[in-house]
Parts: sequence; structure tokens; C-alpha cells
Amino acid sequence: MSEIAASGLEDGEDTQKDKFLTFSLGTEVYGIEIKFVTEIIGMQSVTEIPDLPDYVKGIINLRGKIIPVIDVRLRFKKVYREYNDRTCIVVVDIKGVTLGLIVDAVEEVLTIAEQEIVLPPQLENGSYHQRFIKGIGKVGKEVKLILDSDRLLTDNEMNSLERVC
Amino acid sequence: MANNDSKASMLDLFVFETNQMLEQLERLILDSEKSGGLEVAINEVFRIMHTLKGSAAMMMFNDICSLAHSLEDVFYYLREAKPPRVDYSELVDLVLNAVDFIKSEVMKIENGGNPNGDCADISERSKEFLSALKANDLSLTDTSQRPVSSELKPKYSIGVANISEDEGKSRYEATIYFDEDCGMENIRAFTIVHELSDLAEDIVYSPKDILENDTTSDIIKNEGFQIAFATQNSLEMVQKFFCKTMFLKEFKLNAVADANSKKPKQKKTIVLDDPITNEAMNSIVKEVEQQTEGTQSFISVNVSKMDMLMDLVGELVIAEAMVTQNPELHGLRLDKFYKSARQLRKITGELQDTVMSIRMVPLSATFHKMNRIVRDMVRKLDKKAELEIIGEQTEVDKNIIESISDPLMHLIRNAVDHGIEPARERIAQGKSEVGKIRLEAKSAGGDVLIMIQDDGGGLKKEKILRKALERGLIEKGDISLTDSQIYSFILQPGFSTNDIVTEFSGRGVGMDVVARNIEKVGGRISVDSIAGEGTTMSIRIPLTLAIIDGMNVKVGGANYTIPIIAIKESFRLKDQNLIKDTDNNEMIMIRGECHPVLRLYERFQVQTAVTDLREGIMVMVEADGKGICLFADALLGQQQVVVKALPTYIKKTKGIAGCTLLGNGGVSLILDVAGLNS
Amino acid sequence: MKVLIVDDAVFIRLTLKAMLEKNGYQVIGEAANGSEAILKYNQLKPDLVTMDITMPQMDGIAALKAIKKMDPSGKVVMISAMGQESTVKEAIIAGANGFIVKPFVEDQVIRGLSKFK
Repeated sequence: MSEIAASGLEDGEDTQKDKFLTFSLGTEVYGIEIKFVTEIIGMQSVTEIPDLPDYVKGIINLRGKIIPVIDVRLRFKKVYREYNDRTCIVVVDIKGVTLGLIVDAVEEVLTIAEQEIVLPPQLENGSYHQRFIKGIGKVGKEVKLILDSDRLLTDNEMNSLERVC
Repeated sequence: MANNDSKASMLDLFVFETNQMLEQLERLILDSEKSGGLEVAINEVFRIMHTLKGSAAMMMFNDICSLAHSLEDVFYYLREAKPPRVDYSELVDLVLNAVDFIKSEVMKIENGGNPNGDCADISERSKEFLSALKANDLSLTDTSQRPVSSELKPKYSIGVANISEDEGKSRYEATIYFDEDCGMENIRAFTIVHELSDLAEDIVYSPKDILENDTTSDIIKNEGFQIAFATQNSLEMVQKFFCKTMFLKEFKLNAVADANSKKPKQKKTIVLDDPITNEAMNSIVKEVEQQTEGTQSFISVNVSKMDMLMDLVGELVIAEAMVTQNPELHGLRLDKFYKSARQLRKITGELQDTVMSIRMVPLSATFHKMNRIVRDMVRKLDKKAELEIIGEQTEVDKNIIESISDPLMHLIRNAVDHGIEPARERIAQGKSEVGKIRLEAKSAGGDVLIMIQDDGGGLKKEKILRKALERGLIEKGDISLTDSQIYSFILQPGFSTNDIVTEFSGRGVGMDVVARNIEKVGGRISVDSIAGEGTTMSIRIPLTLAIIDGMNVKVGGANYTIPIIAIKESFRLKDQNLIKDTDNNEMIMIRGECHPVLRLYERFQVQTAVTDLREGIMVMVEADGKGICLFADALLGQQQVVVKALPTYIKKTKGIAGCTLLGNGGVSLILDVAGLNS
Repeated sequence: MKVLIVDDAVFIRLTLKAMLEKNGYQVIGEAANGSEAILKYNQLKPDLVTMDITMPQMDGIAALKAIKKMDPSGKVVMISAMGQESTVKEAIIAGANGFIVKPFVEDQVIRGLSKFK
């Protein structure tokens, strides 16, 4: 599994542009810019922390570093699914914040050129995850939902956590 | 080292050293003012001003330089002339104002800005102060000014050679020009004359009054220094001599046809002041060697290196645990291994203790800063109060010092401003005219206790209750509050009284910010007061946050660590001790006292099979005098744990102080007992 | 050339050290006051000493005299501030081999000290 990450990360900074790591949640496939991904690990035991939103599962020990992990399904307000062998944690580093994303499965590293990405339609009754999507990438006959990493991290809902404690 | 790097580090050092000197100066002045004897400090103040001037000049910070210079002049006069009547209080003000100015300039420099402050006001005042001193001093001797002229006692005289004979001697004339800006050209000229006298005689020179008159430097700069002399030495030797002159720009040398040169008949000799005998020499060397044996040598270390070291030691503790408590070793009989493991533990422990002690710094510097605050406030508010400092040698982690400095200042200001009554009132109440503020620190177990106690008017309970009612913090008719609970209302936001002393720090903090800052370093503050007698603020801070002794407990699949320091005892519950109060809260009666029960699995929403209080383990913990009993599945064992902060993405959770890595790679949450209590 | 730098201000010592080392001098030691200077002179036997005048415990003049007594051929250059003319005179009489006036710049220092190389 880490080989996928390695192959994607071997290339230099410039060549990271247009490369996305894709992962699946049910039938939908999402993509996140490879430059944010530091590694991919298998599911491991998560230490729960009380009094946090449901999608913040808790913290894990990554070689001595304590990292918070969120369940992306729950974050996107989808139905929770039990973790299995394919479940992975995608470790990302966005603006200095390290975070683990629990996903159903990791797919591959894809190159999606800028021209192939269109703005997402703003549907009135669209699904909740819309707010986190910044583009729709076309790869052959399929579409990949390109994530807005900033939003994922700093969406206003997140800030309301501060008042909880 | 690249030019920029070395420049930057020179600047850093300038800032660091100057700040140190300012601190030293401030402390010196305040201490001597308190003990009534500024005279002793005069020389040291002079020296510090002199050094400040020199360093500032090197870095071309001219305002700081000239301010230090004007004060240096004042103290030079005080030192030499020892005038009888000095307004010391004004002098102290002057020095403190100068210190403040330089401090703020240095801060600008530190932050990459320009020291553009205007010290003209202070400079003027110091010049006026000096003139006033001189005017008052009736005996205006030479020592009243920096001696431009020679000393009253001739300590030396220029050697004029013996009556010279004409044989074998030639006469020369030379004109010497020195490098621009080499400074003190008249003295350089004197140096030439002095050294020339070893190989020449009948020396005459112009300008003649190089020793008495410093303005001759200008003449020398413009027209050169002219000197004529007779010598047996060859032209070559003479040339060599002149070439050795420091800062020589050029010189013209020519032989002169021998004419009747002046032949003074007197013989004067050079008399050195205080010739040092051999015995004196030996005793000096011995004394110095003894001194250096006794003094401790210090080095200054970059704080970030210390932090790295601390982190590494923390990692080492974790790694050591991961080796010695590895699940793979479970059940194996490894006597020799465990013996070595114990040795490893011992060494790691010592390493830890040593590193932690390096970071420990005594509170004295911080406490002494408070002297200044009290002094300034007392003068501005026209009250009488003095600060008593006890236990300043108590050490705390360097990080903590920085965080409590501001809260302490605020509390001290409050004590003077709101606590201590004006002198008249105090006398009317039968109290001493001068209010007493006691700043005390002592270590208690793993914590440091800091107390600020004033003998002022105390807190007004009714006033506080009224305000609390206003803010909806209590219900009308709520009478069950203890005094201490009432007083702690002042720590709530919105309770800060109008801070009229914001000019002192300009930060406009309230008691709630003080409380928060203290909590940030893991500490707690509590308030106590007796109306009419005074108020006491007590701060309790854990000595170090980084590594603690913890007891690991299991609750379902989760692990928690309880700081050992908070644990009073642990036990298995017996039926008869359990009771329920009117709200159906569970409590346990132990030795006549009631303690609430906190089921950890409930509090943290963890699934566990152990829900019967008789099956698990009770751990009685205490914080701030309140004890509660935590219910967990089982005790796992004691361990030294490295406290790791929860990632900032996860906002603070009440009851969790941080987390740590266990030997088996899992994560254990460290409980914050005080947080669980509330 | 081996130099001993004597000044009570760390900042000045560092500045001077940087200047000297950049120009091929070898700074073999530092001292913060007169007594330390004497001790270090004995221990390290430098070729040249730069001596600040105003220092605590024992000032530059006293240290100069002591060093000259121990080693008449020793080379000591005083570092003085403007306004210290009379003290510098005293130093010259006591055998100082030269002086540099603060504030100093690298060029000046190196030119001045070059006479001793």
C-alpha cells in the first residue's frame, strides 16, 4: 500500500502538480492533491477522545507522533461503515496541520490535467459533501471528486468545536 | 560564516547582553534605594553605563549611546567628586527612565525595527541634574570635570634626556600625520614622544601642550605633529621607529644641520605610579586562581537547543519503555535482560533529572521585576507600600517563568491599586502606615506555590455577590456558596474592575486572563480574603509538565493515565461505603468524609464489561482540596510517562491533560484531575 | 599571531574576535576583567593583548602594569573610549604599546594592529 504513495511521491515538487491520490467511499471516488499526502497506512487502533464531533474518531500513534484522525464518511455525513482490511488512513499535511483521513479504500495516483477539471454544479438539494468539493475531474468515462483540502480542514463547522470545550 | 549570519548573531548578542545589563542596573538601583545606600552602587552604575555606551556605539545606535554617555557623566561626577547633597530619589528616577528608554529601543531592534526613539527629554534632565550637582558643590576642584588637564599630583613627568654632547649625534626633524579618525591624536603624539625618548634626546615638539589640551588633536590632524630631536642612531633606525607608529598615515623625516639646540640641564626621571613588587604579583595571581576556583562558570545556551534536548529525552523515555515493556517479552523469563533493563532505566532517569534541572530557573529575576512595579505604582498613586520577597530561589521550568510574569505583574498591581489603602486610611484603622505585600514562592511536592498576600482592605463579599447576581452567575437566594467560591468569582470574565493602571502595561488584562494564563501552564489560582485584613492570591503550578509519574488504568478497550501526584489511594469497594445523595449522585464515605464517584466509562463514553462498582477499582484522586473517586476496570501499573500534548486540531477536552505512548505502542490519555472535578 | 582579548562586555569581545579572526589573527583566549587577564596571560602566553580600560574587579591599567612587570616584552594595546585621555596617558607611561579608540571599525583595528605583526 505504501508503494502507491511512494511512486506518487518520488517525483519532484513540480511534477506533483496535477497528480491526485484517489480513494473511495462507497461508489464515489474522491481525489486529493498528492502534495498534501505524506503517507498511507493501514487501519490501526484509534484512541477515542470524548466530547468531540462524531467524525473525529480520536488519535493514533504514528511512530511516536500523535495524529488526530477523522472518518471521512462521517465527515461527509454518509452512513457509517465498519472498518475492514481495505480501510486505510491517508495521512495528510495541510498548512502544517497533520491529520489522518479514514477512507474505505485507497485507489491509485492519477494525473488529471487542469483542463479535465470542471467546477462542480451547485445543487440546491445537493449532498452534504458538496461543500468539500472544489472540482470534478474526468478520467476516461469516470469522474473523480476533487477535494478542497482547506475546506476539509477549516470548515466553519470545525471552528464551532472551540466553543464546546 | 556569511556576513549576514555573523551580523545577525552580533545583533542577537548585543540585544541579549544589553538586556542583561539593563536588568542588572535596574535591580542594582532598586536594591540600593531600598537599603538606603546608593553610594555603594555608584561605581557599578558608572561601569554599566560605560559599557552600554560602548556597545551601543559599536552598533551605531547613537541615541542609546548618547543617553548612556550623559548618565555616565553624572555617575562619573558622583564617583569622583562625591558631592554631599544628592537628590537620590530623583537620580533613581532618572536612571530608571533611561533604562526604560533603552529597553524599548532594544525591543524595537530585537523585532527588526529601528531604534528611533527620542531621548532628548531624559538627556536634558540628566544634564540639568549634573549642572545642579556641580552648582551645589562648593569645592569645584579639577576632579569635578573629566580631567582634561593633567592630574593635581604629578604622577609622571616626561623624561628629558641628559645634557647632550654633540659628538656622534645628528638632529632630525619629523612631521607626523595620523590616520583619519584614529582618535586622541594628541595622546598618540605623546606616545611618540614617550617612546622616542628611549633612543633620542633634546626632544622638542609642537603643539607643545598635547597633554594638557585635547584640542591640540585638531591641530595635529590639520598640520601634523612636529617633533625635533637628537640621536646617535642611524637614519634607518629612526625611520624604522616612526614606521612602527600605530595609525601612521605618513611622516616626513629630515636631518637638520646641527644648530644650537636647547640643552636643558635638568634631569627628570619617569616615575611610575604604584610599581608592583614581585610579592604583590604572586599574591595577585594566587588570589585570582582562588577566585576562579570558587566561581561557577556559566555558558549561555540557545533555548531552542534546550527544547530539542528535552524532546529527545522524552523520546528516549518512550523508546526505553517500548523496549522493556514490549508485549513480545510477555511471560518470558529474562533475568539478565531485566537486570540490564533496570540499569538502563536508572541511567535514563538520571539523564532526565539532569536535563530537567537545566531548564529550571530561579524565580528571583521575575520576582525582582515586581520591585520596580511596586515602586512605580506607589509613586504614581501616592500610597505607601513595600514588597517583601520570600523564596526567590525556588526554581521553575523556564517556559513557566515566561508565562507567569504577566499574571504576577497584574496581581501585584492589583494589590497596590485595589488592596492597599491610602496611608491615612491605614493609620485610621490602626494599621501600619506602609502597606505590606508579600510575594512568596515555595515548592510543594511536584508543584510550585506562589502567593501574593497584601495586608490591605480585602475583598468585599457583598459587592462580588451583587455583581455575580447581575451577571447571572448565581441565582437570587443562593446561599450555599463558601467564601472561597464567592471570591473565585472575580476570576470570571467581566469581573475586572476598571483598570486605571493600564498605562503600566498597556495590556488591559483582567483577572480572567490571569487565570487563563496560569491554566495554560497547567496551574491553578485561588483567592482568599479577610475583610479589612487583606487578600491572598495563591497560584499552584506543576514543576514540569513534560514527564510525570503516572498510574495506567484500563477502562474497556481504552487506556488512561492518572498522575501519581494526584492519587491519594486506590482500593476495592465494599458495599457499606457506597451512598447516594439527594440528586442520586454516587458517593463514597471514607473515614468520615464524603467523596463523589466518577465512573470513567460513563464520563468518557467507553464500552466496558466492568460496570459493577464492586468489580473494578476505585482510585481516589485529589485536586485543589477536593477529592473524588474514579472508577476504572483495573490498574495496569505505574509508569513514567512523557506528556504529549493533544494535537491542536483537537480542541481541549475537559478532564484530559494530554496523552502518552505506552510501551505496547498504544496511546493512553492523561487525566486532568482538576478538570474532572468540575 | 596569538591574541588575548580582554573586555568585560561579551559583545565587544565577540565583535573584536570576529574582526581579528577574519584577518588572520588567532584569538587564543578571552578575559572579562584585569585579574582574569593576568591569569590567562600566564597560561596562554599570547603574542598580543587587547586590553579594555574600564572593567570590574581590576581595570585595564592595573592589569597592564602587572603583565608588563611579568613580561616586559609583552605587547598590550589598550582599548579606550573617547574622554579617557588621561587614563590612556597613564597607560602609555606604564608601557602600553598603543591604543585604539572606541567605537572601532574593522579596518581601523586591523590597520592599527598590523604594526605588531
